[in-house]
Amino acid sequence: MRRQGRRRHLARGLLLSLQMLAAHPLRTALSVSGLLIGVAAVIVMVALSEGAERRLLQRMQAMGTNLLVVNAAPAPRVAGRPRQVPIVTTLRAADAAAIVDEITLARAAAPAVSRSVVVHWEGLNTTTTLLGTTTGGLRIRNIGARSGRLFDDHEADAQARVVVLGRTVVRALFAGVDPVGRFIRIGQVPFEVVGVARPLGTDPGGADMDDRVVIPLATAMRRVLNVPYIHSIFVQARSSADLGELERQVHETLRRRLDVRAGTPEPFLIQNQAVLLQTERGTASAMNRLAASVAMLALVLGGIGIVAVMLISVRERTREIGLRRALGATRRDIRLQFVLESTILAAGGGGAGMVGGLVVAGAAAAAGPWDLVVPWSAACAGFAASAFLGLAVGAVPASRAARLEPVEALRA
Amino acid sequence: MIEAEGLTRSYRKGAVVVEALKGVTFGIRQGEFVAIMGRSGSGKSTLLNILGLLDRPDRGRYRLQGVDLSCAGDDEASAARNRTIGFVFQQFHLLERVSALRNVMLPLLYSEEDADDGAARAERALQTVELSHRAQHVPSELSGGEQQRVAIARALINEPALILADEPTGNLDAQSSAGILDILRRLAEAGRTIVLVTHDREVAARADRLLVLEDGRITADDTLPSNPPRPAGVA
Repeated sequence: MRRQGRRRHLARGLLLSLQMLAAHPLRTALSVSGLLIGVAAVIVMVALSEGAERRLLQRMQAMGTNLLVVNAAPAPRVAGRPRQVPIVTTLRAADAAAIVDEITLARAAAPAVSRSVVVHWEGLNTTTTLLGTTTGGLRIRNIGARSGRLFDDHEADAQARVVVLGRTVVRALFAGVDPVGRFIRIGQVPFEVVGVARPLGTDPGGADMDDRVVIPLATAMRRVLNVPYIHSIFVQARSSADLGELERQVHETLRRRLDVRAGTPEPFLIQNQAVLLQTERGTASAMNRLAASVAMLALVLGGIGIVAVMLISVRERTREIGLRRALGATRRDIRLQFVLESTILAAGGGGAGMVGGLVVAGAAAAAGPWDLVVPWSAACAGFAASAFLGLAVGAVPASRAARLEPVEALRA
Repeated sequence: MIEAEGLTRSYRKGAVVVEALKGVTFGIRQGEFVAIMGRSGSGKSTLLNILGLLDRPDRGRYRLQGVDLSCAGDDEASAARNRTIGFVFQQFHLLERVSALRNVMLPLLYSEEDADDGAARAERALQTVELSHRAQHVPSELSGGEQQRVAIARALINEPALILADEPTGNLDAQSSAGILDILRRLAEAGRTIVLVTHDREVAARADRLLVLEDGRITADDTLPSNPPRPAGVA
């Protein structure tokens, strides 16, 4: 009975607190503005940071998932002079096959060559990257056809002069013309364009993955580059968790196959996507730490603002407090009222900041070139933290109000 | 109704200890209209605060409606203030920016029983002080006399047995004062116990009984000739 009555008082007290706050709109607005701006800023920062994370994952996906890239190392200098061929020439296509055969963690591996080339079509030319690889390499590197088709195993074996163009190359050479079925020259060698690759965007290093032409490996080695060695091996792990162990085993296998003696530098370099991801994540987590610091700072400043306003309010309303005590309010009632007011203030400020932050993040995501993820969870957390803050910091002014002696309060 | 026995109260004012009450003993019966008179510093406000459970005596016993409240805790005293006592202050103490009706309803906020009919009760209380037509006005739109009548309505809303009025006419002109005193007079006729503190002999003359307080002691306790209220509406 008494409990129920108290709950009813809570509802009535809530209404009263709202009325009191509404009576001083400017002060109320000022006191919560710190919290509002802080929460909004945190939400926008989290939106940016989560957007960056999403963009990173998309880029990783575009490169090919669970990827290791083995590159031939730069050739060591002899007597201080660079060699004619700038890389080690010992890597062979058979090494890729050996990796799949010997290492169970490797789902697939494909050899590849690449070089900068000039591509000609009808008097236009552009410098781009030639990628020669197998159909397996196309799959590992997530290369698909947007129009036309990719080359097949038969063409690859036959050293067919067929090429798949990246979007950037198409834009440079074929303005408004469908390139599929046309013939271009790569260096001096004519090729038939069989397809245009699906755009992949930039890789995590910022390189344009659409600025390239892709041809079968054998064609590239025999007809364009005229080399017996390969430049790279793409290795795909069965799962991203295996990347570290896979890297170690690839090292082992290649050292054995290339007969690398202990103490001599390896003639290859392995790029691990997981390491790349970790590096990028490091940047992202620095950003997250910054966001967290800003959040803490915002809460502290917001809390100080609210305490200050509540203390002013207690002082200003001393007589009102005395009156309420005379009319039957217990110390508990008075404390409750001020805690409620503080909580409403803070929750209101946090709520407004949440709405503001979401609106800014949402509008920026919709309109701008920025990658933003609207962070609902961060928004809710900001709101909850604000409300809790109000509850916590309200305790000080509230108990000051509750401690007032009614007689003195009425005389104030 | 009220039994006070040897009440003493002293407090510090800077380095000096002021003995405001030096042993005050008296009783007040249900339905009495008592004026407590004295110069400032005589201890009359201290006495009223103790009677109103806003303050506690250092020594002595205070019984209200037979219950010893000398050592009442916060909850008990607050509940008694809410249910049994209605306060009327010299400075009215109304909440600004809040309508007369809402001001009158304020004590219900701290009542234990439900008050779903709170607005109706507040209207009735305002009727008692003839201010129904001003229910929706905020204090700044009301004259001093009207504000004090709102305060009386507020004191009445929980139907208290005892009304404590501390210089209720101290801030009012003669005409408004007369109106307020008429209302208090009528409440007394209706059976409520009224204790009024004043330093004004004319105001005190409207009561049934006069206690004179000098230097923390009661020096006179007189019954006054009856003086019925003037007809309503003259105020």
